[in-house]
Amino acid sequence: MVVDELELLSFLEWLLPGGDGSEMKIGALGVFLLIVPALSATVAFVCYLFSVARHGPSEGFYTVARTVAAGVTDISHISPRRVWAMARLAINEAVRRRVLIVVAIFMLVLLFAGWFLDSGSEHPARLYISFVLTMTTYLALALGLLLSTFSLPNDIKNKTIHTILTKPVRQVEIVLGRILGFVLVGTAMLVVMGLGSYLFVRRGLSHTHTVESFERVEGVAGGQNENPVVWRGTLTSADRHTHTFEVHQNGEGQTDIQRGHWHRVRLVSKSEKDDKPVFAIGPPQGWLQARVPIYGGLMFLDRNGQSAQQGINVGKEWDYRGYIEGGSQAAAIWTFRGITEQAFPEQLSLELNLRVFRSFKGEIERGVLGSIYLSNPDSGAAMRSVPVSFEAKEFSIDEIVFGRSLDVIERDGIPREGDIFKDLVSKDGALNVIVQCSERAQYFGMAQGDVYVRSADAPFFMNFFKGYIGIWLQMVMVTAFGVMFSTFLNAAVAMLTTFSCVILGFRSEFVSDIRTGDLEGGGPIEATVRLLTQMNLSGEFSDQLVTKVVQFVDQGLRLLMSFTANILPNYNAFDTTDYVAYGFDIYGGLLSRNLTIGLVYTLAAALVGYFFLKTREVAA
Amino acid sequence: MSVETVTNPEPATPETEPSEVVIETRNLRKVYRDFWGREKVRALNALDLEVRRGEIFGLLGPNGSGKSTTIKLLLGLLFPTSGQALVFDRDASDVEKNERIGYLPEESYLYRFLNAEETLDFYGRLFDMDAQTRRERVDSLIDMVGLEWAKRRQLREYSKGMTRRIGLAQALINDPELILLDEPTTGLDPIGTREMKDLIIKLRDQGKTVLMCSHLLADVQDVCDRIAILHQGDLKEMGRVDSLLTVKDVTQVQARGLSAEAEDEIREVISRHGGKLMAMDHPTSTLEELFLRIVRDSEERPGRRTVEHE
Repeated sequence: MVVDELELLSFLEWLLPGGDGSEMKIGALGVFLLIVPALSATVAFVCYLFSVARHGPSEGFYTVARTVAAGVTDISHISPRRVWAMARLAINEAVRRRVLIVVAIFMLVLLFAGWFLDSGSEHPARLYISFVLTMTTYLALALGLLLSTFSLPNDIKNKTIHTILTKPVRQVEIVLGRILGFVLVGTAMLVVMGLGSYLFVRRGLSHTHTVESFERVEGVAGGQNENPVVWRGTLTSADRHTHTFEVHQNGEGQTDIQRGHWHRVRLVSKSEKDDKPVFAIGPPQGWLQARVPIYGGLMFLDRNGQSAQQGINVGKEWDYRGYIEGGSQAAAIWTFRGITEQAFPEQLSLELNLRVFRSFKGEIERGVLGSIYLSNPDSGAAMRSVPVSFEAKEFSIDEIVFGRSLDVIERDGIPREGDIFKDLVSKDGALNVIVQCSERAQYFGMAQGDVYVRSADAPFFMNFFKGYIGIWLQMVMVTAFGVMFSTFLNAAVAMLTTFSCVILGFRSEFVSDIRTGDLEGGGPIEATVRLLTQMNLSGEFSDQLVTKVVQFVDQGLRLLMSFTANILPNYNAFDTTDYVAYGFDIYGGLLSRNLTIGLVYTLAAALVGYFFLKTREVAA
Repeated sequence: MSVETVTNPEPATPETEPSEVVIETRNLRKVYRDFWGREKVRALNALDLEVRRGEIFGLLGPNGSGKSTTIKLLLGLLFPTSGQALVFDRDASDVEKNERIGYLPEESYLYRFLNAEETLDFYGRLFDMDAQTRRERVDSLIDMVGLEWAKRRQLREYSKGMTRRIGLAQALINDPELILLDEPTTGLDPIGTREMKDLIIKLRDQGKTVLMCSHLLADVQDVCDRIAILHQGDLKEMGRVDSLLTVKDVTQVQARGLSAEAEDEIREVISRHGGKLMAMDHPTSTLEELFLRIVRDSEERPGRRTVEHE
């Protein structure tokens, strides 16, 4: 899972100027305040041009001015009761048009999906969660699309809008009311689908094992450990995996971690006859989690121990990670802030998600060895913990736990007992984590988000709920855009247009690449020609006039596409499914940011829809 | 029988003070253009109209003469090509004026998935009425149009007459000062027509102003105070019904209880004064009155008809 650095900004950092080094130095609010007047002026000018073509220069100006003035009056007179009346109408319409069928479809798909989802796969939690969230997203978007695009055009076609427009309803109330009504219906559906999904995931993942074999651990001495391990054993296979387990003297124990989960094991009783213990195996735990990571800044040291701007580039085109060379002084140093005693009373849990680049095969069965240690940022290498060796597991997450009391090494090189907070954390709560690769000629790759401190987990259900908020936002925007387009297009065309906007929104990077020419194959027309003549992407066309014309038109089309794609909301950014599936808490700042952007887009769509409806002759 | 009519151009109102002008159009033109801006249909040419408070005004004309267009222009559903349409001294596209008007469209364009109560309640909300007022109005209106028995049924199950009645109810939900009716009696049976006409007259008696358009001449004649006749978008005639239709040079007398001798004497008086007797016979009641009487009797005494012979 890729963590975008932009997403690590808090809400206020993103919104207000002075933000931390991102491209929008004036803050999102600044950008908004710049864009809105510019865009409004441009739009007003375009409308004026249209109006001039119709009515002539002075009359045209008068018309536009009058419409804008009327718009301002209308908006300032919005009545909540009327908006609510329109919303109720929309809800009524949706319900009596049997929109509940969507929920029925959802439940049906869930029932059958259970047969096909493989709970014995490597990461079943990820699979199940991704599945329900993705399916809910598609259904919610389809629902929003269908509800919003048919309603107003039907009104206009059936002329029921005549009766409404002759009441003191403002068009803005009609548009807002409809959006609100459909959003409410969609929300209710989402709640039902959400609960269903949650239960589905829990049920699909639950499984049990029984004890296959066990043995008593011999030769357990007293000594330091008051609760030594007394029993060891293995469990039967279920869902294509099995566990080993340990039970302590107090009767409590657990299995090892397989496929991202573990079970609790308890000694229930000892049968009288033959002193055979009976164990109870609990349900699977630990794979429905929401980690709250604390990220830090990343710095590299090159192979001579000098600080470097970035790591080595090993030639992977798509990789933005830097690499460090093994068996040298090269290292990656993360600096974390906010490491306090209150937050981490007992231990510090670090998770590593490193990439490995092997320049020779080496021992392919085993991961590449690395070492990790903590150091005090104030004193540099003078105060650090004893390095811990680990095996870098690619594509799954290593967890390294540092107990609070551990051995530290000072300048003299002699290990002694120390405490993380007394020795290693600096005065302002910062801590350095250094990672090195131990094997020569092998490389570790890392990015800022690859190593993090794991603070207390958030409840999974909350995270699941937050994921649903992301889906809800997407649905709200689709609904708003659908209503907006339906104010001036007929139902089918509005639906297609909204659908195109969704696609463009999901693929806006692709569209930008087409414009900048990073992607081969030219613009739309050229691509069609290539398709029809079965030419590949990099073939050259002969230098004719036709080619030049086509390419010229394509430039314009590309510009239009990229302009549209830039204006439209980037749906991808609202999709937080990965967070929930991979078990990371959705950062509060991210959620607030998405909510703000979503709200702004919705209001903008409502405004545009209002003006289209107002200037439209519905009885024509 | 020759008939001379005297047309009176816009007369001063016979009553004492001039009434307030409720609707006014000034040089109102509507031309439908196609996509390229060429003229397609000239719906209305330079209409100048005035409707005063408290009168029933009829817009008359054949199909396609611009009657519905005028009403839609007054409501703001269409935008004029040139000229002005003013209602209560405000431009027709002003939404505020809608507080004081009611509109009954040609077909009652109502939501078919709502029932009668919900429909009226919905429109009541659009007037920002509070729940109590809404409740009372809805109940009294449903009572007035006589749909108490069907108020929970969805509108899709209503007959045409029933839908028209609910349409009328929603037009009156806000107790408007001005009511616009587009072809109110078209398509109704004689009973429904009579009820509609009675209601229109009652509204006028309550002090409201009614503007209706129709091509059913008899109905307009029965009900309207002033009319305007449109043809192909042009205003051809406008004035008070009685002055337009009165045949000035013919006297009509209706008397009850005259014997045959009395009739002869009257014939003589007429010829003595140099008049020409055109007709002396029994007037005919209208077919409408006969029909309504039979229906009323039939409701009181269902079964075979009792034939009354003279």
